[in-house]
Amino acid sequence: MNILEQKAKRKETLMDILPFAGLVLITVFFIIVTKGRILRIDNLANIVTSAFTIILVSCGAVFVYAHGGMDFSIGSTSGLAQFICIYMVMRLGFPLPIGILASVVVSVVACSTVGLSSILLNIHPFVASLCVKNITAGLLSLLTQKVGGQITLDYVRFKGFNSVGLKAVVLIVMIALGFYVFEKTKVGKIQKAISGNERTVTQAGINVKKYKLSAYMIMGFCVGIAAFFQMTRIGTVSSSSGSGLEFDIMIAMVLGGFPISGGSAAKFKQFILGGITMTILTNGLTMWGMDVSFVSFVKGLMFILIVSVSYDRSVMKQVSIIKL
Amino acid sequence: MGKRVYLSEQKICKAFGPTRALVDVDITISRGEVHGLIGENGSGKSTFSSIVAGAQPKDSGELYIEGKPYSPKNMIDAQDHGISMIVQEMNTIPTISVASNILIGRFEQFTKFGIVNFREINGQANHILQEIGAGDIKAEAMTYRLNFEDRKIVEIARAMVSDPDLLIVDETTTALAHKGRTILYKLIKKMQEENKCVIFISHDLDELMSVCNCVTILRDGHVIETLVGREITVQKMRRLMVGRELSDNYFRDDFDGSYSDEVVLDACNVTYGIIEKLNIQLHKGEILGLSGLSACGMHELGQVLFGINRTLTGKVTNCIADVEINDPVVAVANRMAYVSKERDKEGIIINATILDNITLPSYDLLSGTLGYISSKDEMNLTQRQIDVMRIKCHDAKQRVSELSGGNKQKIVFAKWLARDCDIYILDCPTRGIDVGVKAFMYQLIYRLKKEGKSIIMISEELPELIGMSDRIVLMKDGRISKEIMRSADVTEQALIEHII
Repeated sequence: MNILEQKAKRKETLMDILPFAGLVLITVFFIIVTKGRILRIDNLANIVTSAFTIILVSCGAVFVYAHGGMDFSIGSTSGLAQFICIYMVMRLGFPLPIGILASVVVSVVACSTVGLSSILLNIHPFVASLCVKNITAGLLSLLTQKVGGQITLDYVRFKGFNSVGLKAVVLIVMIALGFYVFEKTKVGKIQKAISGNERTVTQAGINVKKYKLSAYMIMGFCVGIAAFFQMTRIGTVSSSSGSGLEFDIMIAMVLGGFPISGGSAAKFKQFILGGITMTILTNGLTMWGMDVSFVSFVKGLMFILIVSVSYDRSVMKQVSIIKL
Repeated sequence: MGKRVYLSEQKICKAFGPTRALVDVDITISRGEVHGLIGENGSGKSTFSSIVAGAQPKDSGELYIEGKPYSPKNMIDAQDHGISMIVQEMNTIPTISVASNILIGRFEQFTKFGIVNFREINGQANHILQEIGAGDIKAEAMTYRLNFEDRKIVEIARAMVSDPDLLIVDETTTALAHKGRTILYKLIKKMQEENKCVIFISHDLDELMSVCNCVTILRDGHVIETLVGREITVQKMRRLMVGRELSDNYFRDDFDGSYSDEVVLDACNVTYGIIEKLNIQLHKGEILGLSGLSACGMHELGQVLFGINRTLTGKVTNCIADVEINDPVVAVANRMAYVSKERDKEGIIINATILDNITLPSYDLLSGTLGYISSKDEMNLTQRQIDVMRIKCHDAKQRVSELSGGNKQKIVFAKWLARDCDIYILDCPTRGIDVGVKAFMYQLIYRLKKEGKSIIMISEELPELIGMSDRIVLMKDGRISKEIMRSADVTEQALIEHII
């Protein structure tokens, strides 16, 4: 067994360094191929704003992925939340805070639906989230059709929300809060334990269902806030708003070295680091002149590549199989 | 004595990284021999037998079968050479039939033109099952429908398919109750009569004494001694295993079976699975032993008492707090603890650290303002338990998967001791751990009693219940068949008749 242990230790150290090395490597690579254009001030601001969404959502998604859950619906959910918010403010004349609140409520409800159906009905969260994705995407497309394709917001009124300063403050607060709850309170610690052995956690007198649901609710909250800011940045909401977010989150997760099935090796910083790497990757590819549709092709390929490199095969070896 | 040597091993070595699991091991196994192997957890018994059975390669040394060099490439190769092993872990595939499990890897024999003849497979499997005396298991049945004991019997059947000359039984009896043991013992006897050999690994010294005609003791990868025939005594084996004389008070030495009249846990009219309308009470300062055959309902009862399984009638009441126990959340909140029989599946998080495991039930106690859990507090709590329980490890951040069985079990205990509970429900607390750790656990349980805690000890090992309990409750088919108070004259024989 000790050879396996040593291998696991070496792998662990490697997995600690690799994400950092990856970030540096990707950054250097794109500085070279874009001849430094990636470092221009206007592009840096671009990087910060796109990193904003991914990192904000990561702060919540980390809880769900840590307990072994997943959610493939957050992209469409974000789109729907954006629509409800903009519709209430622009068409129904509600004050802005109510709009933000609505965005958060929509996201929390959608994410909780994924959580509840996987917890109570014992559906795999992947399947449950695909169902919710269809519901929210369907609703969004129905609603945008009703309003004639898209809603554009009033730039002057929302201008303040686009300042890099505000976003930086929100980001720092959310990261600090996320880190605290995930690494320093039982809410985060229990998520990791659940992925390790759900029965042990149940028998330790912990309400597993409650903690799983709370993870989905925290994620919903983050998606709601992120949706609002994304809406103010882009300025319009259409049926394709928010799409692709779920996949970006998953790539951020693996890029940061976050274990794909959660567990005790899961760290908050991995998710955040992955979010930054992910943003630079997307931005760099675009700056390099790659077509947007080709960017998703590269992302898909990268995902499989990283998982195949980082997947812990020793876990499979320990599983007792018939050795005949 | 004119016995023919079947298998001989010379200077077998095996190392896992820096750990030397086997050092120059020489063992000779003659025909007609039932050769016991004993040693503490991590002494090299399983490593040795898995090398012989072809499950892993040796580093150096030679193996000979009847004088010819033997070096198995894998377990099938070993079977072709006449060596078969029943392993320690559950090793059947639940989602296929019993027959497929028994004859797995041999389907070519039953295949014609690419079509597998399952009728023939079932016939063959039924034949094997009948031969070993397990005719009540039907080859056509899906394996997941069997209980764990029957699944283990299926594994025994699988090992017998190749009609081996040497059968290795690696701690199989821990998973077996009376029925399975009878089958296995009969099989061993038969092999002996046919002048074949058996390697028998167990922690149960009494069992070894009755089954084996020769026992080799391993310690830290070295052969300490081989005892033959009359030399085999429990005392001697225990001393050689541990390397020092264990004091006589292995169990508690008093026969004062007294405890307070105060009831702390009251199960009234509970029904679950095989258990029907059962009443049982636990008192303050009492060690209550609960025993029976493994399917008698005692394990289920333990889970009902802790709220893991919910009773269909009546209720379980924690009388200290006067609350109904219907969920582990309620049980733990009211200072109850549960040690599961399935250590790796339920008791611990195997891929997490010692710290993560020990602090798990105590998060609510560790949380300060705003739910803050300080790493220092976590570390202190864990380190205290590592010291008190004498857990052998590098540090608190070591992964539990790297520890031996005895140390894993200590962690399960430690996580509850860290919380300081009043009621402990222990399901097979000494299962699969060596005598050294066992003695430690017995002392611990007795200390808890002296501190006024209440303990339910569920076990299939009658000697430990006789040795430890203030009161023994025996179960049969989901009912209480007998209740016996602590005294010096309680014998195993007297209890067995109420179980079977």
